[in-house]
Amino acid sequence: MSAIALYTGEMLDGAVITLELTAGATVVSLVAGAAGAVGRLYGPKALKTFVMAYVETIRGLPAILQLFILYFGLTQFGIDISAYWAAFVWLCLYGTGYAIEIFRAGLQGIPEGQHEATAALGLTRFEAMRRVIIPQAWVAMLPALTNFVVLELKNTTLLYFIGVQDIMFHARLGVSNSGQPLVVYGIAAGIYVVMNGTISRVGGLLEKRAAIAR
Amino acid sequence: MSNDVVVELEGVRKCFGPRVIFDDVSLSVHRSEVVAVIGPSGAGKSTLIRCINRLNTFERGVIRALGHEVYGTEEGKPALKRDELRELRTEIGMVFQTFNLFPHLTVMKNVMLAPQRVKGLSEAQATARALELLEMVGLSHRKDAHPRQLSGGEQQRVAICRALAMEPKVMLFDEPTSMLDPELVGDVLATIRRLALDGMTMILVTHEMMFAKEVANTVVVMADGRIAEMGPARQVLSAPKTERARSFLERVLPHTDGGGVTDVRTHPQDQGGPIAGPIDSIGGSALWSREADEEELL
Repeated sequence: MSAIALYTGEMLDGAVITLELTAGATVVSLVAGAAGAVGRLYGPKALKTFVMAYVETIRGLPAILQLFILYFGLTQFGIDISAYWAAFVWLCLYGTGYAIEIFRAGLQGIPEGQHEATAALGLTRFEAMRRVIIPQAWVAMLPALTNFVVLELKNTTLLYFIGVQDIMFHARLGVSNSGQPLVVYGIAAGIYVVMNGTISRVGGLLEKRAAIAR
Repeated sequence: MSNDVVVELEGVRKCFGPRVIFDDVSLSVHRSEVVAVIGPSGAGKSTLIRCINRLNTFERGVIRALGHEVYGTEEGKPALKRDELRELRTEIGMVFQTFNLFPHLTVMKNVMLAPQRVKGLSEAQATARALELLEMVGLSHRKDAHPRQLSGGEQQRVAICRALAMEPKVMLFDEPTSMLDPELVGDVLATIRRLALDGMTMILVTHEMMFAKEVANTVVVMADGRIAEMGPARQVLSAPKTERARSFLERVLPHTDGGGVTDVRTHPQDQGGPIAGPIDSIGGSALWSREADEEELL
């Protein structure tokens, strides 16, 4: 029993790392994703092409392969980053690819008439996006964004393959040392459920608030 | 170009792909003139006025608005730079068929947004201007509502306020009443009539023939990708000179639901023109009573 308690404690330490990586990567991905989507929709041709190629690469390659290329592949060029930072960079790159598509769909969902109204009034592109287009797109995108954060968090489970000491890492150790996979994995599952449940709840509250503010 | 000309089109051609929408459109709009553009659907009326503030580009010809060439199609004549175009658009008010209010903002914020963010008015100045305009269109009591809580007619009047808040020198109306239920049309037309009385220069695409006849100085009939006829409103609408304009007017006038149609003879062909009798009122609706006195001036 005390072994289980020990590994639960370790897994909770792992949860901190999971949350750190998820939160950091989510923020970076959303900012980069918004910028990427604007570039994809309104930027010059070269930028559009680049963003499209980027999204296709991220979407097209298996997640674990991307992670391995980044972590193991780069060492060939003498670039040796820690597992933690490699994990963070990969989560950001991966998240950005998906965030671009979410923002693109959200922005494209705003009727052309809204753009025309801002243009006819003489608003700058920037002001139009900031005051009119993004506030509306944001509301429409909230469910997809909630989903996005949950997926980012679940993606962190892959990181144990490169040795990041997240929940999964400690769960694996706990299972081999205690011989009780069901109990240990069950506890890990419980931790994930609580974390993702919280994310969904926050997303739900934001949606509700947005609906009232409309 | 005389100083008095606010908008001028010369030989404008617009294509969508290989299809020519209209060609060789020339038109001058003078200060305080009200020009109504009428014609069958698909004649390019909306596209035409959208070219004036360059929401649409065009393939040939020249459009000058407030002394600026809005789009250079001639070689060696560069188009306005992005900021110059933006500057020009602040002086050209536009009202859309579908209102296009900002749904996430209140009525007040819809009207205040551009004065604050484009013209740099303070919150207090923008509020004062917005209230004054909403008062004028009779909607100050709805200032905190969101657009979806308003009727179409109310939304369109807010949209007019939003455009007027920028103090434009010319207003473009793109079928402002065609999305409205018939009973809501009157309030919007009353607002436009009031602007005409105040001397606003306006170009108005409309299907309200009676209204065009009453408020417009000039009527432009567009058909088959050209200006079929253009001239003083009463003359064009009562006694069109061209066959194309006449056949269009004959088809639309008996069905026009502007309220005054009962005054129109039912056999326009007897008169060589669709409008036989004097149609100076729009059916004497109470909607107009406010401006009844001023109306005489027209």
